Amino acid sequence: MAQATVARPVALGGEMPLWDRIKVPVFYALLIAWTLIAVLPYWLTVVYSFMPKTEIFAPPRLWPSPFTLENYRVVLTAFDEFPRWLLNSTLFAISATALRVFFAAMAGYAFARMRFPGRNLLFNLVLGSMMLPGMAMLVPQYWMAVKWFKFVDTIYGLTIVWVSSSFAFGVFMMTQFFKQVPRDLEEAAFIDGAGWFTTFFRVILPLARPALLALGILSFQGSWNEFMLSLILLQTPENFTLPLGLAMFRFQYYAIYSNVLAGSLFNSLPIMIIFFVFQRYFVEGITYTGLKGGA
Amino acid sequence: MTRVSKQTLQEWFAAYTFLFPVLLGWGIFVFLAMVMSFYFSFTTFNLLKPPQWLGIDNYIRVIRHPDFLRYAVPNTLKYVAVVVPIQTVLSLIFAFALDQKLRARDFFRTAFYLPSVTSSVVIGIIFVWLFAPQGVINQLLGLDINWLNNTKTSLPTIMVVNIWSTTGTLMLIFLAGLQDIPSELYEAAAIDGATRIQMFRYVTVPLLRPVIFFVVTLGIIGTFQVFDQIYIMTKGGPLKSTMTWVYLIYFWGWQEVRPDMGRASAAAFLLAVTIFVVTMIQRRFLEGSEA
Amino acid sequence: MMRRKAVLTTLVLVLLAVVLGACAQQQPQTQVVEKVVTQVVEKPVEVTKVVEKEVPVEVTKVVEVPAERIEVRLSGWTASPEEENLLRSLLYECSVQRPDILVKYEPIPSDYWAKIKTMIGSGTEPDFYYMDIFQFPFFAEEGVLQPLDEYMAEAGVSRDEFLDTLINAFTWNGKTYGIPKDFNTLALFYNKDLFDQAGLEYPTNDWTWEDLKAAAQTIKEKTGVAGFSVPADPGRFPIFVFQNGGKIMTDDFSDTLLDSPEVIEAAEFYTGARAEGWAIIPQDVGVGWQGEAFGKGDVAMVLEGGWMVPYLSAQFPDRNYGAVHPPAGPKGEGNLVFTVAYSISVNSKNPQAAFDAIACITSEENQLKVLESGFALPSRKALQDADYLKENEVARTIFTGAEFATPFMWGLQGEAVNNAMAQALERVYLEGMSVEGSFKQAAEEVRAALQE
Repeated sequence: MAQATVARPVALGGEMPLWDRIKVPVFYALLIAWTLIAVLPYWLTVVYSFMPKTEIFAPPRLWPSPFTLENYRVVLTAFDEFPRWLLNSTLFAISATALRVFFAAMAGYAFARMRFPGRNLLFNLVLGSMMLPGMAMLVPQYWMAVKWFKFVDTIYGLTIVWVSSSFAFGVFMMTQFFKQVPRDLEEAAFIDGAGWFTTFFRVILPLARPALLALGILSFQGSWNEFMLSLILLQTPENFTLPLGLAMFRFQYYAIYSNVLAGSLFNSLPIMIIFFVFQRYFVEGITYTGLKGGA
Repeated sequence: MTRVSKQTLQEWFAAYTFLFPVLLGWGIFVFLAMVMSFYFSFTTFNLLKPPQWLGIDNYIRVIRHPDFLRYAVPNTLKYVAVVVPIQTVLSLIFAFALDQKLRARDFFRTAFYLPSVTSSVVIGIIFVWLFAPQGVINQLLGLDINWLNNTKTSLPTIMVVNIWSTTGTLMLIFLAGLQDIPSELYEAAAIDGATRIQMFRYVTVPLLRPVIFFVVTLGIIGTFQVFDQIYIMTKGGPLKSTMTWVYLIYFWGWQEVRPDMGRASAAAFLLAVTIFVVTMIQRRFLEGSEA
Repeated sequence: MMRRKAVLTTLVLVLLAVVLGACAQQQPQTQVVEKVVTQVVEKPVEVTKVVEKEVPVEVTKVVEVPAERIEVRLSGWTASPEEENLLRSLLYECSVQRPDILVKYEPIPSDYWAKIKTMIGSGTEPDFYYMDIFQFPFFAEEGVLQPLDEYMAEAGVSRDEFLDTLINAFTWNGKTYGIPKDFNTLALFYNKDLFDQAGLEYPTNDWTWEDLKAAAQTIKEKTGVAGFSVPADPGRFPIFVFQNGGKIMTDDFSDTLLDSPEVIEAAEFYTGARAEGWAIIPQDVGVGWQGEAFGKGDVAMVLEGGWMVPYLSAQFPDRNYGAVHPPAGPKGEGNLVFTVAYSISVNSKNPQAAFDAIACITSEENQLKVLESGFALPSRKALQDADYLKENEVARTIFTGAEFATPFMWGLQGEAVNNAMAQALERVYLEGMSVEGSFKQAAEEVRAALQE
């Protein structure tokens, strides 16, 4: 097992024995080193979120002592609207992710594979729109949302505005991924008489699963953590999302760090779970080994 | 003749049907918003009262403002030049590594992704603490540097934080891209006697080009627009050493008692054009003629 | 205890929902009787020692709810969960006192000014909202606030009822544009243990710069801990200017005085404190805010406001401290006042209802609750004799500090002035630039900003 770790399931012919002998340890050493760098700050957050707020300035330690659930109790009970925030965030993140991934995949496919007048212009405009900082578009977006669509203070309004303003990223990403997919399978489908729609839903979407999954994870994370648009569009505490509600724990002059840490961990938990569950589907070779069997 | 044109028409129709939802949403909330913002950049606009036409002056005022050319632009360019290559290479290597059959692969992937999940406020708090004069970093390195309150080290420190926190996201994208490379190609390369490094160089990288272009573009956009970490950790200081383009836009457009959204919008469009030019140059290199 | 509170709060919400539901149903003009339970107010703050007092007073009040209630929207930033709940309890109280008015509270948890300004630009701002003195001149000059004098006269609310510094601060061209809500000033917080260790008498309200310096030097010698803190903070440094007879801006805010001799002398003293080794900046001890350095015991004295009290009791409950007025300079006393008012939007459709709501929230009875909560100091003169102030040294110090205080406000380019001041100090601290050169440069930066 250990020897096969680095290699793809292929026998490597004629390589250097020295590299062969040290590659596994070197490889794992590097992985573990970056794991430490990546995990340590997060782990410290976990540790300190379980310690009394008076201990926040205690020297670094790897295990919470003294241990307390107080910070979580404060975060979960300080505001009566907490369950609403959780519900709002869930509704928002799930609907925003679904809408964005699906529509961005459709548009990305059109840009990657179809020829139509205005393609390059539109694609460059979409790409170019990512280059203007979101901060500069906030005022017009608010004006339109409020005056034309009465989207103010609703989760569905927030969903529509967020999905719309984050399309560019999704479309760009899907376009690039579809470009990478070999054309053979689609051509086979066309020869069988399938149209664009059938081909897209039956052949392309299953093929693009890793990319859809990646965009899905990023979209969930992006919408779950969304702040600026929610801040400007939502008004009453009952309609807040979790990040907005948790922002109430940052005070005007100072922050009680323990509460901020507990709140942010609570906020990041769903994303972590979703990532852990879905990353298993990134299994190398899945698309082509599967398809080869069928072809 | 008719057959071809019917097919072409069908393709056009299909394309615009596929694009419709995106064009509708993006068209209103991004494209129109951009047009309005472009209009703002030619006006005097303090948020409270409707914009008043001014002309090209805002662009001149941006360029002539001492903070812009002396601090915001050089700091931002340095930032892009350092962060983009490092985070791209690191995340590509990580993705390649975590695409292999490894023990505890799920664990490693999640661990590598963790920084992307951590909220930027917490990242700010933690790194301020790690980089404090008596903090962990100084203790480990045996140094006595006030990382965030020193004009020479503040920007590099933010760069490190940025690389740390975005590598996970980019790794995820590369990981998805690696799935699409047929294993037959690696098998063929192996039969030809290629080493793993050669395979990475001659099989993985070329096939991954569109995704690499995507990641690099994303990196360029993200670093040119760096704001969150600076807002949380240094507020542009000390002494403007971490003053960046978007931080200046934020200051002019949102933070001043009497906001100057006209000038902020002008600075935003100058930034967009700069990013666009850099992206196009980069596209030449990465996508070649195929773009 | 907490569970009880949660249950109670839920009950309140349910009952409130009943009330709201009732009015939504367009009841006939007959008397409708509903129960309203006022929310529990937590009182977690006592000075110097923490007594987590929770006083669950369940008050059931029978209220006539008119068939139609006028709805007015209120926005404010969120200062802390405790203050949030305090405000909500005041709003409940006022819904009992004025059942004909329904205040819809819309807190803005971040970037308050950006959002309020954007809302005003599209005419969607709330009927009344928090107005900070730092931002006030812009709103007044743009004419987006409602003058309140007529409403005040009609309701019998006099300007004299409020502390002069505060009500005058919210006056523009002779008209009142805000009813002060609360305020803060700076006080010299001192660590009693460090003073005991150094064998020094505690500071008094009569201290001068020389006393400050002498005590700080002794503490540094005897305990090794820095005596004082001189952050590059535009919300702290200016009081030394005032104490030196200087000003930051001219009276009409058209020019800056940052390069005047008074300012430069004050800055020499301020930055000299660090150069001479008896003061630090917070970054020297690895923190961003001197309040944290004080809490950790890394500095013996800091100039901070009333927010230190809840902060220290939450984060550093063992810190044994007191507070006196900032030491006087060569030209006497000087202080900064940070104050917030309720202002009514000029676009409000129900300015009368909004004013009535403000009058209720800022009534003497309700202001006393604000005072007793320990989070902020009330704006009413009548409360200077309140028992709470007599018993609480820190609160009294900060309350009476208003007498010598100048509002924290530098005109329409206030943030540019703040930045220029902070950077002038940073140049001295980090780059060893001369005070005079650095402040001249700051003055030039401010003038450039003013000319645009």
